[in-house]
Amino acid sequence: MRSPLARFLVRRILTALLLAVGITLVTFVLTNLVPGDPVAANLGQRALGDPAIVAQWRADHGLDRPLPQQYLAHLGGLLHGDLGTSQQSHRPVLDDLAQSVPATLELAGAAIVVSLILGVGFGVVAALRRDRFADHVLRVLSLVGISVPTFWLALMAFYVFFFRLQITPGSGRIDPGMTPPPQVTGLYTVDALLSGRWEVFSSAVGHLAAPALVLALYTIGLLTRFTRSAVLEVLGQDYVRAARAKGLPGRVVLFRYVLRPALVPVITVAGLAFGSLLSGTVLVEAVFAWPGVGQYAYKSATTLDLPAVMGVGLVVGVVYLVINLVVDVLYGVVDPRVRVS
Amino acid sequence: MTTRSWQVRAGLLPVVLTGALALAACSGGGSSSSTQSGAAGKTLVIDTSFDLKTADPGRTYEPTGLIVDKATYDTLLTFEGSDVTKPVPSLAESYELSPDGKELTLKLRQGATFADGSPVTADDVVFSLTRVRDMKGTPSFLLDGVEVAKTDDTTITLTSKTPNPALPYILPNPALGILNSKVAKENGATNDPNDKAEQYLNASSAGSGPYTIESFNVSSQVVLKANAKYWGAKKPYYDKVVIRNVESATQKLNVQRGDSQVALNLSGDQVTGISGGLQVKRTASAYVFFLLANQDPGVSKVTSNPKFVEALRKGIDYQGLLELAGEGSTQASGIIPSMFLGALPADQAATRDVEGAKAALAASGVTDPKVTLEFPSELTVNGLSFQPLAERIQANLKEVGITVELAPAPVTTALDNYRNGKEELGLWYWGPDFPDPSNYLSFAPGKLVGLRSGWKAGADKDVEAAADKAGAAVTDADRRQAFTDFQQKLNATGPFMPLIQPGQNIVTAASVTGVDYHPVWTINVADLGAK
Repeated sequence: MRSPLARFLVRRILTALLLAVGITLVTFVLTNLVPGDPVAANLGQRALGDPAIVAQWRADHGLDRPLPQQYLAHLGGLLHGDLGTSQQSHRPVLDDLAQSVPATLELAGAAIVVSLILGVGFGVVAALRRDRFADHVLRVLSLVGISVPTFWLALMAFYVFFFRLQITPGSGRIDPGMTPPPQVTGLYTVDALLSGRWEVFSSAVGHLAAPALVLALYTIGLLTRFTRSAVLEVLGQDYVRAARAKGLPGRVVLFRYVLRPALVPVITVAGLAFGSLLSGTVLVEAVFAWPGVGQYAYKSATTLDLPAVMGVGLVVGVVYLVINLVVDVLYGVVDPRVRVS
Repeated sequence: MTTRSWQVRAGLLPVVLTGALALAACSGGGSSSSTQSGAAGKTLVIDTSFDLKTADPGRTYEPTGLIVDKATYDTLLTFEGSDVTKPVPSLAESYELSPDGKELTLKLRQGATFADGSPVTADDVVFSLTRVRDMKGTPSFLLDGVEVAKTDDTTITLTSKTPNPALPYILPNPALGILNSKVAKENGATNDPNDKAEQYLNASSAGSGPYTIESFNVSSQVVLKANAKYWGAKKPYYDKVVIRNVESATQKLNVQRGDSQVALNLSGDQVTGISGGLQVKRTASAYVFFLLANQDPGVSKVTSNPKFVEALRKGIDYQGLLELAGEGSTQASGIIPSMFLGALPADQAATRDVEGAKAALAASGVTDPKVTLEFPSELTVNGLSFQPLAERIQANLKEVGITVELAPAPVTTALDNYRNGKEELGLWYWGPDFPDPSNYLSFAPGKLVGLRSGWKAGADKDVEAAADKAGAAVTDADRRQAFTDFQQKLNATGPFMPLIQPGQNIVTAASVTGVDYHPVWTINVADLGAK
């Protein structure tokens, strides 16, 4: 393998796989350290009084085996694409995740796209209009975005835009009477387009907009601040002044000489921000009744549904690993010095 | 292009995008027209906080699952509206309990059909009931020790080894819904723990109820559609019923805005002053909050002291707790909820007597007592949290001279100590498994909840004798008397202090009719109609 990039990628992917195994171990150990008996959490009061039912339930869920054996069985199942059976839904965890993960990805994906465009855009504008009216307004807005708790914002947004102003639709991913589009990607907006169901697409986009904006506000604020300071730093560099002095058009100076170096720290922050988006979805999903992985994780945790908790842990861990990988690759794309090193 | 003009254009981009997103939000409607009648037919939207695992009647035991199964399966007997004191015919046109209470004979109605048009037979009944019993799912205990037999094509006999007068009250439980056995067997149903029919029964019900399952998602929504071949006289009013998983704060806004027509989980505070032409059905729920004092001296020498328990009982401000619980709630006179046979009348409810409590504490010989009160921290029952109740009890008992340390814990952790009988003081609730007072014999010494409070068999002969008598009584009159007596004795010397029944508030659009709270299935979707 001669290409340094290919070697770099292979090395990173192998490390990511090792980390993924580590994630399974940590999730398994932590889940089992939680005081409380999953049997008590899952069986009814009367059923618990019957030792035969309790024993059957433990055997059904593999809880009658020693912990190391349970972990190895879990790993063995993973290799065959089997994440176990959820104790709460009685369905394969993989099937549950196939329903909830796309919902969250659609929400978080829309939020990160909006955040990147608005956050970077606002940041650049604030830097270019430093200490003028637009800069002051954007700095206040970004401060508000960072400071306002997401759950409060979600409640307020739902109350104001849905209940008071009546301009956004209500709970869920589409209107209640509507049949979801045939599942291809699990993203309703994409699947609706693929199946040519425009009314579902319109409903899905409408339902997505408010929670995505709420979720994005924190990230927009964060990216605005980081982009502003990064761009300002670059704007003060000698080579930028030289480019301007040579009479290069503003667009060329901005994109070729300013944005590229300024984006390196922004990419790092964007990667971290995506992680905070995932955690923020738990609250936003609850308020907007969005059937995503946040709600699934919360329900699984409160019922000590071990396979489901481990499944969610693995998915979230893998998402982080992928984001880190993408961020590393983007460094190389944006900054040639990283490629050389 | 100058630097300045480019800056202006770059600045416009985010503004344009924000506008586009706002437009997208508006384009998605904000309309609630899909929930009303229209070209797609009449649709009803019910918002509830999901407690749902399955729609398989042999496995379901969660409130949301019972709502779904009540709509999709018929049972042999049922209850009319919210009256749980008298089982009435459903798939069985009549029933008769033998004088010794051991044999229940049911006559099967002729002409009832499943959703696929095939008739409901005695074989379907025998298969369905034995499946629930032998599959060892959560509701299997309902038919523990009950033999199910087909006497002839129209007669089914249920035989118990001991008198089982509660059986007619158990049979209406939606978990005992009658399956189309042919369809179920073709899809993996068996009469043992190896049954594999759950996935099929979640995707498409196999019952004779007024609705069938169109789609089922355990975490977001269940969609029911009207059974076009429903055999009953009262046909389903709605073409489609959508049951959505929505948090209570959002439920309130949805129903006020008209995005949903029914909200099931609003607390007393949330329904206070609710406006917008909505209907509010306020009822006391069948959940009973109670305080337990452990009687095992190995767990606590303080709480096992009878005089100390008396001090607790007299020291609690029950009316104060009722204020915390909000609209619709009521004080629990005994451990049996107010709407069940054998419930104690309201005038027998405990009252606060601070001086009496202090005297009892002095008589107990315990000086400066400190006890720990455990309760589930994050659990809410009908919107009511345990924390404020525990804090109020702590303040009440401080006035008497008892120091209470609060020990909240996540429900999964707290349940361990409770079920293992290790709590010194515990604040819990009991939801009925079936609407019959015999369900509450679990509070007797040596029984399920009795043991959880360290009250072993033989600890109180008087209460045990009353419990045995109540368990053996067969006629309604005898049972009413026996269960009243049992509870009076339990209140006098037992380790339990019944506190409150929180309110069950159902909020509906003004147009919705037929709303009744039911202690077992919360709401019967088939009863709902429109003005």
